[in-house]
Amino acid sequence: MAAVVIRDPLAFAAIYDRYVALVYSASLRVLADVHEAEDVTQDVFVRLWRRPETFIAERGRFLSWLMSVARNRSVDELRSRGRRHRREALNGDTSDDDPATLVPADTDDPVLAAQLHEAQKLVRAALVGLPADQRRALELAYFGGFTQQEISAALHEPLGTVKTRIRLGMQKLRRALENRV
Amino acid sequence: MEAHISQEQADEYAIGALEPELERIVALHLADCTACRDIVHDSERLALSFSLSVPRRKPPRSLRARVFQSAGIARPSPWRRAWGYSRAAAGLAAVVVAIAAFTGMVSVRSQIDHLREDNRDLQGQVSRALSQEVEIAALTRRLSEAERSAFELDQATSDDRDLLVALLAPTTVVAEVVSVDEKSTSIGRLVWDEDQKRVWFVAASLQQRPAGETYQIWVSTGGRYVSLGTFNSDSQGFARYGARLPQGLKTYESALVTIERYGGAPERSGPSVFVSDLSRFRR
Ligand SMILES: [Zn+2]
Repeated sequence: MAAVVIRDPLAFAAIYDRYVALVYSASLRVLADVHEAEDVTQDVFVRLWRRPETFIAERGRFLSWLMSVARNRSVDELRSRGRRHRREALNGDTSDDDPATLVPADTDDPVLAAQLHEAQKLVRAALVGLPADQRRALELAYFGGFTQQEISAALHEPLGTVKTRIRLGMQKLRRALENRV
Repeated sequence: MEAHISQEQADEYAIGALEPELERIVALHLADCTACRDIVHDSERLALSFSLSVPRRKPPRSLRARVFQSAGIARPSPWRRAWGYSRAAAGLAAVVVAIAAFTGMVSVRSQIDHLREDNRDLQGQVSRALSQEVEIAALTRRLSEAERSAFELDQATSDDRDLLVALLAPTTVVAEVVSVDEKSTSIGRLVWDEDQKRVWFVAASLQQRPAGETYQIWVSTGGRYVSLGTFNSDSQGFARYGARLPQGLKTYESALVTIERYGGAPERSGPSVFVSDLSRFRR
């Protein structure tokens, strides 16, 4: 395990420039509010700078660490708004693929841009390949901040059904992504 | 939690679907259990798919200034110009981090090899951007000393890059090095790159030795201590020392950092500062 610590302004700036769009976009997907998404993004990066010891990135974990912080902060924000607003997530558009909203590739870092683009294509294909109800359950949990019981209540489906969908969905996703290695 | 975490629970935890009480129990268990942590990390990597699938939107430009101001980061004045042309080099560090992020999802091996092949080209970039202050893995501050010669800067950044590449190579092993003094806040890591036959020692919060003293690093093999060389930390308490793995050594029991007389001792004699159990890494 490597403790990777950012204590240099330029390194931080580089990390910010690379990943801010990812953090912001994920936060916006959860919160559906640009101002709140900006606040959460600011919070995530300021925390990364102020408390580098929390950034214990084992090899290969930086991005999943960063994005889970972003997701959790966003969901906390969402939960603090209360349940009423979260209902919106139930009706939210989960397949916003309008290419016009996509950020063009970063030209000064084509390797990374290509990798992110490749990864994005890969995971989208994997997600689209899931049965709709499995994908919905997963997205309600991840983006909507719903627990299994809440999903069950909101969709009027038995808890067991929701758990099965999540389990099968993750299994299928795992297989789809593993096959690409 | 008595039992370990199942794959199913790890998945539910990673996407945030667990009820709060269970989530807390899992989190507590993860703090103590490496095996379960590995399972959860795998699930988290999978959950990363959701974030990556979201259409990418750019935040407003003003956010950058807000974040930097809120973090209390000021532009370093002697290096003002560096902000302009160090981006290529800064990007390099980020590339390395990003490549690491996809380990397990996409094979990283070829990219690492590619980076190594590109060594010469990167060296050129690094030379052009002498003042880049790109330091990840606690590789900080050293470059900001304006009086450093161009060669030293060049060498330092090239070593840092080698270390970063090594850190991400699948065959590299990273060992935690434990401070002998329990009250010490020093942290250390040993990075073994079998491919390149190199080893690094990186430490933070390590007190700089006064004149006349040095840190010396040893590996024990068959009960015998072999010196890997001497180093000192900088005034910020940061140390990064790289050495070739001694030839012919196949097994290592432990690594040790001691305080010795300046220049180093032929046999380990001074007090120990750090120890690390390397027996698990026997090849
Ligand atoms: Zn366990």
